[in-house]
Amino acid sequence: MNTSAYVAGHGWLYRFDPRAKILLMVLLCVFFFLPITLTGLALTVLLVVVVGWRNTGGKNIARVFLSIAPMLLFMLLFSPFNVRSGQSLWSVRSLTIITVEGALQALRLACRFIGITYVCTLLFATTVMGEIMLALRFWRLPYKAALVVTLSFTYIPFIAESFSQISESHRLRESAREERKNYAQRLKDLLPTLTSVLVVALRSIPNLAMSLEMRGLGRSERRTNYRSLDSYTHLFTDFVISIIIVTVLWVLCKA
Amino acid sequence: MADALTITNLSFSYHSYQERPLEPLFSNLSLSLDEGERVLLLAPFDKGKTTLAKIISGVCPKYFPGTLSGTVHLFGTDLSTIEPWHLLTEVGYVSQNPVEQFIATTVEEEIAFPLESLGLPRAEMSRRIEASLSLWGLTHLRDANEGELSGGERKRVLLAIQEAISPRFWLLDEPFDDLDLMWRVRLKETILAEGKTCLVLASRYLSDFVDLFDRVLLLDEQRIVELPLPEAIERFSTLSGDDRPNPLLTQRIEAHHQATLMADDLTVERRRRSTATSPPFEMHVDSFALHSGELVTLTGPNGSGKSSFSRLLCGLDEPKGGSILLNGKRQGTKELNRSVGYLFQNPDLQIFLPTVEEELAWSLRRRRERSTKEIEAQVGDAAELFGLRLADTPTTMSYPKRKALQAAVYYLLDRPFYILDELDSALTYHSALSIIASLRRRGSGILLITHDRTFAAKVGGRAYTIEDGRLTER
Amino acid sequence: MQENKNALKIAVTAVLTAVVVVFTMIVRIPTAKGYLNLCDVAICFIAFTFGPASAFIAAGLGTALADLISGYAQWAPISFAVHGLEGLLIALIVRNKAGVEASLLKKILAGIVCMATVTLGYFALSSLFISTAAVAAAEIPGNLVQSAVGFILGLGVSTAVKRAYPPVRFLAW
Repeated sequence: MNTSAYVAGHGWLYRFDPRAKILLMVLLCVFFFLPITLTGLALTVLLVVVVGWRNTGGKNIARVFLSIAPMLLFMLLFSPFNVRSGQSLWSVRSLTIITVEGALQALRLACRFIGITYVCTLLFATTVMGEIMLALRFWRLPYKAALVVTLSFTYIPFIAESFSQISESHRLRESAREERKNYAQRLKDLLPTLTSVLVVALRSIPNLAMSLEMRGLGRSERRTNYRSLDSYTHLFTDFVISIIIVTVLWVLCKA
Repeated sequence: MADALTITNLSFSYHSYQERPLEPLFSNLSLSLDEGERVLLLAPFDKGKTTLAKIISGVCPKYFPGTLSGTVHLFGTDLSTIEPWHLLTEVGYVSQNPVEQFIATTVEEEIAFPLESLGLPRAEMSRRIEASLSLWGLTHLRDANEGELSGGERKRVLLAIQEAISPRFWLLDEPFDDLDLMWRVRLKETILAEGKTCLVLASRYLSDFVDLFDRVLLLDEQRIVELPLPEAIERFSTLSGDDRPNPLLTQRIEAHHQATLMADDLTVERRRRSTATSPPFEMHVDSFALHSGELVTLTGPNGSGKSSFSRLLCGLDEPKGGSILLNGKRQGTKELNRSVGYLFQNPDLQIFLPTVEEELAWSLRRRRERSTKEIEAQVGDAAELFGLRLADTPTTMSYPKRKALQAAVYYLLDRPFYILDELDSALTYHSALSIIASLRRRGSGILLITHDRTFAAKVGGRAYTIEDGRLTER
Repeated sequence: MQENKNALKIAVTAVLTAVVVVFTMIVRIPTAKGYLNLCDVAICFIAFTFGPASAFIAAGLGTALADLISGYAQWAPISFAVHGLEGLLIALIVRNKAGVEASLLKKILAGIVCMATVTLGYFALSSLFISTAAVAAAEIPGNLVQSAVGFILGLGVSTAVKRAYPPVRFLAW
């Protein structure tokens, strides 16, 4: 199971300081909710997609789009019916189906949706998880919380692997005559597998806690960091750039 | 010489989750080590070896509930007055099962974590990490995901961690297991190095240990006894039951099944490690045959494709080329699932019921083919055969018992063929051989996968081996 | 001595979060409308077996991480709020003195709260931040089924795990 959203690449986004990247991401997401013109919104989203394309490659951009396409389609099909009053865009025999306002609102929602998705995806695609955690700690995330997240990522593959082995194990144990099973039965058959998976996961807890303490978690010395973000040398510049980008966009696009 | 470790009148028993209390693992056990000594402690599996190690590291009974009486002093400090993290630079514990000690995602971070706990400056951490990685040949694996390392590599990671921390007392539980020859030599050098006290718990590869230790101790009947090495090995052999006759040799088989399992011109795609840079590896099997009642062993180095091959035989995967034949006919995965029982190395993959009795009866009850009385009788027989108590809770049983339970479950499924994956790890030879004998009773064919050639020799039968991507009969 | 259980709390939270992530991402049962995922099974299991704090963090963080990993980043804060609240409320409702099983009434109440929290929470937050009320409403039946199924299975699994692995009660915080 792939828990990494990281895509290797070389663009300027990769060299951008992660701490500033997080700020930029948050500011952009807020920007998408501000009262801006639809054209401005659409162009900004296009800009984001192009930047993403240049940095992480077309394949990644396409993949992200495909994963949100169903939801997007749903949204475009059903949102226009929301706004009932206003100028009619399409009517059948004096019954207004879609209004202009409805269509515009649907477009706005869709653009916002695409924009936020790409902004967040690009953050994770251009920054390794370890550096994201370091950046979050810079933004005052407590060490314990960062440790919990890091440990979770260690255990996700382990539990996923256990799950598939346990499923196979039960399959081997249980293969008897073929029976057509309805959903209720299939869910019931899932119980042994789920129980085993949970027991396997729970058993690892005392070992994890034990190992954490044996490796010194809880000592009075102040913990140091092996990894750092020192390789990013333009923190201040990148902060300023982030703020400038969003401010300029706001000034240009405000409604 | 100052005392490194002093244990006085230690008794310990695990918390029992049933009405009946569990037997104590130790009673009035006493042990002492001087600083700078190198001591070997022989202890058979299932007799408290790992528990003792955990007590010395200060994590038992904190994380493993039980009743402890007596005292343990490490370098003069009573362990019950301190927390485990105080012992970071005092005791280094290398577990028999490396996976349970992993807390980071990559090898490099794993070694860095304890150094961060010590508050070392970055330059010092770097220096120590580089030195440890290179000493244990892990430099090319520094970014590797720990879940994808082989058993030997994982052991080396644990040893590298201790090398970086450099504790005063090294507590090693079966450290030689899984290591290739080159690394066993390196380990010996590490043990002999100056300035450390070393306690090694072992039960295998004992011939490697001549001249390595100052003293040899034996965990005998809940106490510690000191003996010279040859006598200790002999007594240990008796305690492990290894001097009992090989149950496979004297076995009588009821010829229940008559079947043949064959692999014909098979191409096996080895399961991929996602971080490895080498291309997918294929293994070729010219011919392979297993008949009912037969014993066949398959040996090969770590990662050569033994598990991948087994998965094809039991129908968990489809072969890339060639076919598996049962009684001469090509078989699909479903039929193979029904005919070949694959016992995963980890016995916990199937356990989900509260008692042994329910666990054993579950498959039988679901089939609805037999009456309650018949099921009870069968379950009782199986429990007796495999040495299990019906009212025990599987998840709190010891590892050898859980392995026996796994085998008993499959025994009741009465499959014509069984594949046993690394059965002998963490079991005495005698226990493992008994399990094989029990499974064979109704005439099933057994394929045993192992990397321990001594064990393969004890099992006997035809031998296959994997070399250079080919599976051939020896 | 040996009172400090910080490492245990961290270990429990981390592993349970991972469990929620895996249950959300790996276990998918195809239905007529798409997929049901089993995150609610995991969340209800944790709520029944552990305490309100672990349920809140594991449920919220776990579903949020799953969303981030699968590329549905904008649902992450919503999932955190909705499922975190779900875990917290269920755990608070069925909380009892150690060893005493919650009454049937409490279980039914917990079930209703579970379904209501998930369905209404997603509906409200989706219509505010993601799309419109109409679109968000389309998710309601799916969420109702998923949370109901999750609750029942979660209850079953919790009972099974407590019986199969008694030491779990030492882990709860």
